[in-house]
Amino acid sequence: MRMRFLPTTLLIAVAIGQVVLVRAFDLTPWKGGGFGMFATLDHAAFRRVDVVVDAPGRSEALEVPPSLELDVARAASLPVPWLLTKLAAGVAARERRNGRAVARVTLTVWRTAFDRITLHATDRPLRTFVYNVP
Amino acid sequence: MAQLDTVLRLTAIALLLRPMGPWFVQPVLLALGALALISRRWLRRSGLWAAVSLAIAIRIADDWPLADNHIYLLAYWALAIALALRAEDATEVLAATSRWLIGLAFVCAVLWKAVLSPDFLDQRFFRVTLLTDPRFTEVAMLIGGLSGADVAADRAALAPLPHGAELIDPPVIVEPPRLKAFAAVSTWGIVALETLVAALMLAGSRAAHLRHAALLLFCAVTYAIAPVAGFGWVLLVMGLAQVDPAHVWLARTYVAVFLAVLFYSEVPWPGLLLDAIR
Repeated sequence: MRMRFLPTTLLIAVAIGQVVLVRAFDLTPWKGGGFGMFATLDHAAFRRVDVVVDAPGRSEALEVPPSLELDVARAASLPVPWLLTKLAAGVAARERRNGRAVARVTLTVWRTAFDRITLHATDRPLRTFVYNVP
Repeated sequence: MAQLDTVLRLTAIALLLRPMGPWFVQPVLLALGALALISRRWLRRSGLWAAVSLAIAIRIADDWPLADNHIYLLAYWALAIALALRAEDATEVLAATSRWLIGLAFVCAVLWKAVLSPDFLDQRFFRVTLLTDPRFTEVAMLIGGLSGADVAADRAALAPLPHGAELIDPPVIVEPPRLKAFAAVSTWGIVALETLVAALMLAGSRAAHLRHAALLLFCAVTYAIAPVAGFGWVLLVMGLAQVDPAHVWLARTYVAVFLAVLFYSEVPWPGLLLDAIR
């Protein structure tokens, strides 16, 4: 009946993995199964992703289209290369579908920090990722 | 054994109250939840709960890392039920696993708030959240004494400028003393209560009444304000699994708080109260 300890073992393993992901890869503490919700202001409402598309004769900041919102949410929550690549490739594919040139997609993930006393908000870059469109 | 049935049925109800997951998971979970409710034979089948746990795990993986923490807890809980139903002493196995799961989840929650987070104990989390999160606006107005105009002005003042820019003379944030006091009480109150629940759960079978009192108090207070009823339901079902079947009144209290959390989530009580006193 050692199997009866499987749920608690899983909880501990996932929680330890979540702390590692937060510390090493900037996962928001609210996500990942580590029970860090309602513990910090570092969550989706205070993270955002800027998208800039470059091509010969073009450099343009884009609004995130609804079709890519899930990819944006995932990349903002955990700004690691594979999630950022997926988002950037989605942006490039959409641009090409719409007949617009795209050679490079630059993603900047921002996190809002609040002053300890005055609460004034400042955006700080968490990660900048450049995707050269193949 | 009737109490075990109630635990399993309430877990199935929690599944049905908050349908989750993509198209290939949601109907499966809804069907399994319905099956558990209409058939006692299926309710007691280990395989049904193993399937529930697997479906929730697929839901977590599908949009990882976006799933909320109580979805993980529900997956562990469904797995715990599946394993317990294979044991001869299902009720005792489930009660023990429930204590560990709640205790460990609360240890993690306390660690994040008190040790790992840079902005919780200094009260920034609640000060900013009460001003900016629309889900807490009415509570902030009701308890904190903010006006609608204050909320709008504070939200504008707390919005960051693009690309890390800062104003030389930034606007002052309106924080009435009552709101600051509410943020302070919320900060320290939740850390104290979560620490108490964690300690009592991990203390084993000692202090059972205190353990139940702490968990019930936590759920009754927290989920009146926090908009995550699903978390409250999972915790309450897990707490009920630890109740001695002889303590009928305690089991009924758990069911009553389960229903209270349902009402908290469906009735906009802060808004109604705010309208009534205006």
